[in-house]
Amino acid sequence: MTQGSTERILHAINSVILGKQHPVKLALACLLARGHLLIEDLPGVGKTTLAHTLATTLGLRFQRVQFTSDMLPADILGVSIYDPDKHQFSFHRGPIFTQLLLADEINRASPRTQSALLEAMEEQQVTVEGETLPLEDPFFVIATQNPAHQIGTFPLPESQLDRFLMRIQIGYPDKQAERALLTGEDRRQMLKQLQAEITPAKLIQLQQAASKISLSDALIDYVQALLAYTRNSGQFYNGLSPRAGLGLIQAARAWAMINGRDFVIPEDVQAVFPSIVQHRLQAREHLQSADWAAEILKQVALP
Amino acid sequence: MANKRSAEIPSTSSIHWLMVTLTIIAIPHFFYQPLWVAAIFLLMMGWRLMNSWHGWPLPADKRLLKVLHSIGAILTIVLVFYSYGITIGRDAGVALLTTMAAFKMVEVKNLRDVYLSCFMGFFLIITHFFFNQSIPIVILMLVNVILLTSCLITANESDSSIKHRLQQSTVMVLQAMPLMLLLFVLFPRISGPIWGLPNDAMDIPDSLPDSMTLGEVPPQNSAVTGMADNITIGNISQLIQSDAIAFRVKFDNNQFPERQDLYWRGPVLWHTDGKRWLPLSDNQKRYENGSKIHVAGDAFSYSMTLEPHDRRWLFALDFPTAYPQTMQTRLSADGELNSSDPIKQRTQYQLSSHTEYLFNPQNDPYLQYGLNLPEDRHPRSQQLARSLLEKTPTDQAYIEAVLNYFRQQDFSYSLTPPALRGDTIDQFLFESRQGFCEHYAASFTVLMRAAGIPARIVTGYQGGEVNPVDQVLTVRQRDAHAWTEVWLPQQGWIRIDPTAAVSSERVDFGIRDLLPAERRSPAAIANNDRLVELWQSAKNNWDALNSAWEMWVVSYGPDRQMQLLEKLGMHQPDWEKMIRWLIIGIALIFGWIAWTTLRLKTIPQDRVQRFYQKFCLKLARYGVVRQPHEGPEDFSRRAQLALPQYQQQIAMISYCYMHLRYRGEALEDDFIESVKNFRPHR
Repeated sequence: MTQGSTERILHAINSVILGKQHPVKLALACLLARGHLLIEDLPGVGKTTLAHTLATTLGLRFQRVQFTSDMLPADILGVSIYDPDKHQFSFHRGPIFTQLLLADEINRASPRTQSALLEAMEEQQVTVEGETLPLEDPFFVIATQNPAHQIGTFPLPESQLDRFLMRIQIGYPDKQAERALLTGEDRRQMLKQLQAEITPAKLIQLQQAASKISLSDALIDYVQALLAYTRNSGQFYNGLSPRAGLGLIQAARAWAMINGRDFVIPEDVQAVFPSIVQHRLQAREHLQSADWAAEILKQVALP
Repeated sequence: MANKRSAEIPSTSSIHWLMVTLTIIAIPHFFYQPLWVAAIFLLMMGWRLMNSWHGWPLPADKRLLKVLHSIGAILTIVLVFYSYGITIGRDAGVALLTTMAAFKMVEVKNLRDVYLSCFMGFFLIITHFFFNQSIPIVILMLVNVILLTSCLITANESDSSIKHRLQQSTVMVLQAMPLMLLLFVLFPRISGPIWGLPNDAMDIPDSLPDSMTLGEVPPQNSAVTGMADNITIGNISQLIQSDAIAFRVKFDNNQFPERQDLYWRGPVLWHTDGKRWLPLSDNQKRYENGSKIHVAGDAFSYSMTLEPHDRRWLFALDFPTAYPQTMQTRLSADGELNSSDPIKQRTQYQLSSHTEYLFNPQNDPYLQYGLNLPEDRHPRSQQLARSLLEKTPTDQAYIEAVLNYFRQQDFSYSLTPPALRGDTIDQFLFESRQGFCEHYAASFTVLMRAAGIPARIVTGYQGGEVNPVDQVLTVRQRDAHAWTEVWLPQQGWIRIDPTAAVSSERVDFGIRDLLPAERRSPAAIANNDRLVELWQSAKNNWDALNSAWEMWVVSYGPDRQMQLLEKLGMHQPDWEKMIRWLIIGIALIFGWIAWTTLRLKTIPQDRVQRFYQKFCLKLARYGVVRQPHEGPEDFSRRAQLALPQYQQQIAMISYCYMHLRYRGEALEDDFIESVKNFRPHR
């Protein structure tokens, strides 16, 4: 049942996003593990399309916010406006009151705005003028950012990067996929025709199922060995946090579920590991990030 | 800490296991010991069993029982003394150890007592060597050591399964093997019999009594006999009943003499009273080398391994021309090779012999003894001699005539001749006419002496069997033989085997073919050539193994040790060098053990993991090596690509492993079975 759903979802997304099975699967795993997703890549590789497709196929209400440097927290959270007829302030909900928020180019916004969003992500609620308002359930943020070296960006601080379960890259499509993309239908048109594969309630069910995937001692040993390696090898400024470890396990469970298994094997951990650690770890030497995550996996033997 | 631990109460199952083991160890002793040893042993075991089954009190529970128990033990010591007249020595010592181990068993209440009982068990195991040193006993002892080691394991972790504890103790015993071999090879050997063994520890096979006379039935229980130093007609037929080994011969370069030359010379008999034949008495016997021997042809060199027979003579291929000076070996003037002391243990010596020779052709110091005949005996034989002598012009012709007499009259070779009474020679020559070598040798000698030709009987062995496996010639008691030597001027002593005149097969093919079929081999009864052949080859291999065992293990003494060490490249070995190498060897072994123990830490204790590693190892042999970080699914996929013919098995094993390891369920036994059955080859 669960596998059928996840397969249908993946199939639908892959019909729009061509040749990107792995990032798509990671993105789905991230959402099934109740994590927020950060997509870092150059403009025009399909970040927004991916977020949009995910929202549609999962049947989620969707809001998009384009972040700019002059943006204020109120532009996201909402604002109280004086209603002269009623002689009182009434709260106008911002775009954050939705099920899936696409925060485009999050690193263009000022740190103040960024942190407002990230706090909301963490707490799953917002506090405006002393009033606490819960956000919707499910609630996801898919943020995109341009690579940090682009002009006019405020890189997210490490503490806030930690709020994102995964950071993925999409990358250029391969030759064949690109050709299909160039000759095929207009993607925006396709998005409009796309149907929801599941309901939000079903999504919550799937999330619960994922959190129940069984985890053996041997696998926890392996995860701990990986965490210990990042802390003790001396290759990184700081090792992975326990939150990262929890995230790793959650993501591995979701990955196992997508692969139709009811238990986690080391391969699941290995599959999600780079996307979980790359934005959390800072290598001492200037290593290519894609390489060092794979390098850690090679260094740590299965217990 | 250690004391606290040893005061712990052992589990009932570990005590039962110890009792089973001790009983298995003791059982072979029951056959050597008087019945009461077994009775006391089983009584004590029964008491202990009753305690754990029905709660019967033990000595520790009641003062009265404790007193009774002590009195029982003291009475047993008295009983041992009463039975053996002594409480030390092989038999008495073993009886004491066996019964005391049983008495200890009812006293066991804490771990320390269990350890003590185990160590008594180890002593009990080694005592088997006092009685028997053959390969089957060594295997039995090895099994006993493994069982007893498992008792020590069980005492400390009683919840392990029998299979597991036996496995563990087998591994431990096997691990001890290198050290055992090193000590065996290098520990300096001391010459002489096994040190410190009491006198009764060596079983000397019985020999026939010296003073046996005709008509007396030889003792039937002397199953293993040696050559007697006198012959009475009937003695050798006793020997022929025995398959026991007399000696083994290894010819240098495997150069064998002709079969009809395989006469193994032993005691030479001169004197006769008409019934018995005796060698020269000690004051008649001379050793100073006045004898003249002329030889022709090449010498045969060989090494003899003589079984103990408690006599002083050594056997040699007729005729020994070079013999070792070390054992104070002497060659007597009548051609007997003698050692200064009785042969009480297996003895090895190196000899050379010539099969073509002339011995004392000019004169011989004993010629007059070679003519003696008791007066008024064998009248009919004397008459026969005279009548034959009249018809023959020369000594040679006379000898030929006597042999022809044997051939032409209806003499036959029989291992079960009728009993002879009265004048045995006459009776044999004229009435029964059935007999074997000693009958023929004795009557031939009488006929020679009656004609004035010096003659004597030589006893020994004839023939032997060559084992095709190791080319060792084995001579058994059943090859015992007697023949005659006559002295002719210019020719010296000539061997004449009158038995050959009657039954040339005896000499040409050996005694085996003359024995009834069921004595030859069990397979022969089935009358199946293939079976006989199989039986024979199995027997040959077993004999070769035994002979190597005797040579290299049981009689591994100082000489053999030197020989072996020199072969292994040690220059002029002495005990200091041996000790030095022993220390180096022990250090190496312990170093190796330490290294592997440290390495063992990385070997998973988990059974599933161990078998998965086995599976990976099997694949690694075919170039599919699992990376340490590689997960089972990735590895399985890669292995399936590399060995497509085993795709299913690999997938199945990996699937089971993943479920076992990461899901915590699935059929463990199936997994282990399929790993065991996984035998990839290209």
